[in-house]
Amino acid sequence: MTGNSAETAETRAGLLMAAPAVAGLLAFVLVPFGLAFGLALTDLRLGSPLPTRFVGVDPFVRVLTDPVFLRALLNNAVFAAVVVPVQTGLALLVALALDRPLYAMPVLRTLFFLPVVLPFVVVAVVWELIFAPGPAGPANALLGLVTLGGWAPVDWLHDTRYALGAMAVLSVWQGVGLQMVILLAGLQAIPRTLYEAARIDGAGPFSTFLHVTLPGLRNVLVFVVTVTTILAFRLFDQVRILTQGGPEDATTTALYEAVAAAFDRQQVAVGSAMTVVWFVLVLAVTAVVRRMARGRA
Amino acid sequence: MAPRPYAGAVVRHRIATKHALAALLAAALLVPAACTRKEADTPETPAQGEGTETVTVWFHTGRPAERDALQAQVADFNGRQDRYRVVLTLIPEGGYNAQVRAAALARDLPDLLDLDGPLLASYAWSGLLVPLDDLLPEATRADLIPSIVAQGTWPPGPGGRLYGAGTFDSGLGLFADRAALAAAEVRVPDATATAWTAEEFRAALAALAARDPDGQVLDLKRNYKGEWFTYAFSPLLASAGADLIDRKTLTAHGTLDSAAAVGAMTQVQSWIRSGYVDPNLDDAAFVRGRVALSWVGHWEYGRYHDTLGDRLAVLPLPDMGTGSRTGQGSWQWAVTAKAKSPEGAAAFLAYLLEPEQVLAMANANGAPPGTRAATARSPLYGPAGPLRLFAEQLGAASVPRPRTAAYPAITDAFQRAFADIASGADVKEALTRAAAAIDRDVADNHGYPVTVAP
Repeated sequence: MTGNSAETAETRAGLLMAAPAVAGLLAFVLVPFGLAFGLALTDLRLGSPLPTRFVGVDPFVRVLTDPVFLRALLNNAVFAAVVVPVQTGLALLVALALDRPLYAMPVLRTLFFLPVVLPFVVVAVVWELIFAPGPAGPANALLGLVTLGGWAPVDWLHDTRYALGAMAVLSVWQGVGLQMVILLAGLQAIPRTLYEAARIDGAGPFSTFLHVTLPGLRNVLVFVVTVTTILAFRLFDQVRILTQGGPEDATTTALYEAVAAAFDRQQVAVGSAMTVVWFVLVLAVTAVVRRMARGRA
Repeated sequence: MAPRPYAGAVVRHRIATKHALAALLAAALLVPAACTRKEADTPETPAQGEGTETVTVWFHTGRPAERDALQAQVADFNGRQDRYRVVLTLIPEGGYNAQVRAAALARDLPDLLDLDGPLLASYAWSGLLVPLDDLLPEATRADLIPSIVAQGTWPPGPGGRLYGAGTFDSGLGLFADRAALAAAEVRVPDATATAWTAEEFRAALAALAARDPDGQVLDLKRNYKGEWFTYAFSPLLASAGADLIDRKTLTAHGTLDSAAAVGAMTQVQSWIRSGYVDPNLDDAAFVRGRVALSWVGHWEYGRYHDTLGDRLAVLPLPDMGTGSRTGQGSWQWAVTAKAKSPEGAAAFLAYLLEPEQVLAMANANGAPPGTRAATARSPLYGPAGPLRLFAEQLGAASVPRPRTAAYPAITDAFQRAFADIASGADVKEALTRAAAAIDRDVADNHGYPVTVAP
């Protein structure tokens, strides 16, 4: 009996402690989502004196048949498919390299983390210069040097073939520090005794990595992949500042289209429908990523 | 989320900081005003008698020179009469339009506010403004230059009322290095009527490029963002006999995707494709001497003149078939429908439109003055001024951006089409797509029927 009431008290305390977070989720995630869904069933327009009418699923039909929005979703998918493995892999490599007690290591780690804390506008200005067209642009010049002049200079941000790739490169550069820090923390949480046991068993560096490091990092990796996926689908700043979705929609994304619809063209209903579609898709992709990660265990 | 800058924003950001001539004049004009400003600016100004009415005014915080000029004007106005007392609120330009829209929802608008030109129709359509026809003195309205009247009138055409009045406008053209043109043996057209034809312009680019180490001779300010492209390149459509939309029927199909429009935009694309256009990432293509021609507005005059001196020429945009056309429009004042003191708002606006005040502001920001009287006396835009071409073009050869509440959708569609065309997309396809996007927005809004009695 006493155990039961203690459990009830514990449950009550738990609910009480969760209350602020739950209230926050309700107020800042669920309610806005509900509102967006509601708005997406109307023909609401910013500043229109005409009455707002309920139009049913029409905005959704329009959004899902809009070639530009479908292109935006495809861009999001391609971007995520490239950036998630590359960024996670790179972060793991850097974390492994930095996970040793060397002199001045904190300085090195800070350097790798620096791009994460730079305001995105600064990052964009720097990379816009790096991607400058013509043989004088640093990216073109570097490739020219590496290929001994065999590289024909391209206009990275204005060429449909390269624009999304350029976005991916600068996004990985800017974001990799965050994943690196999380993985570094994960690496340091793996008990040293496991490594000692592996060495006693005669395991080489590769097999230690495969059988000690990776399993020890599993949960952290699942987290990193999930977060990176969500961040990749959230792609917006780069697009807004550097390409405005162009050229020929090569770099547009779902969120960019939603903001352009709602605020640049004042079509709030269409913008809302886009965010609802985007949210459902991200939720689905995240669920799949988590399931895949679990299944492998 | 900052809303995209409209023309005024471009104007403010790009005006050269070292506008020596205008700055000097502004300083000379503002010194007396600045002396009185200290007292008048303090909120503790003693109440000026029983009948004093408070007039609330919102202004976007533009460049410091503009802001200082307006603050001096407020102090001067409050000091010279005691019927009205103007209380000025400065709102950051980044979120200005969004804040005004939000205030409108909360029924909290001031008596008088300033708006970026192409947004006026959208505000008037929303019923947020009252016409100025009966508020402003006849003489003040008659003194406004035609382009200011056109930009402030809604709906366009007969039956339109004046909803906005700007104290300054904007000027757009080609700035050129005379020495480079002479060396390439290119004719220098310095009047609208003698503008280069499309073929002449292409030949000029080729001749200049032949003498240029990297072949890049033209700056289109491709480094600018947003509204710039509609402001600067939609006049080419008009010059070719096309337009962004058919201004009578509000339809884009058949106009924006017409053969004339495709032809004009194909020309622009060919300049870029031929390698004549500097990407101008550092915004210094012209002042560093990398290019001989810069397609830009009045705001660059100061910086360019500092660099080139007498070698600087101001030319009209090329004629794409039906005569050279240019852009117009900047920030303008409007009285709100909820104004508690519309008469007070109008009195302050009438004061701002007095020749001395128009000149004070125009000299502070280098823009073309909004009234005839001030233009005649302007050192930059007067009969002997170096920028008189811009003053002559306003109203005569300038095209207001479409004065319809569909403008946000129109400019969004055109900007995308322009970016695609500039990066090599099929011109006809890009313009057809833009036209379809505009027509769909107009249909969604039931053709933007005028619901407010004008």
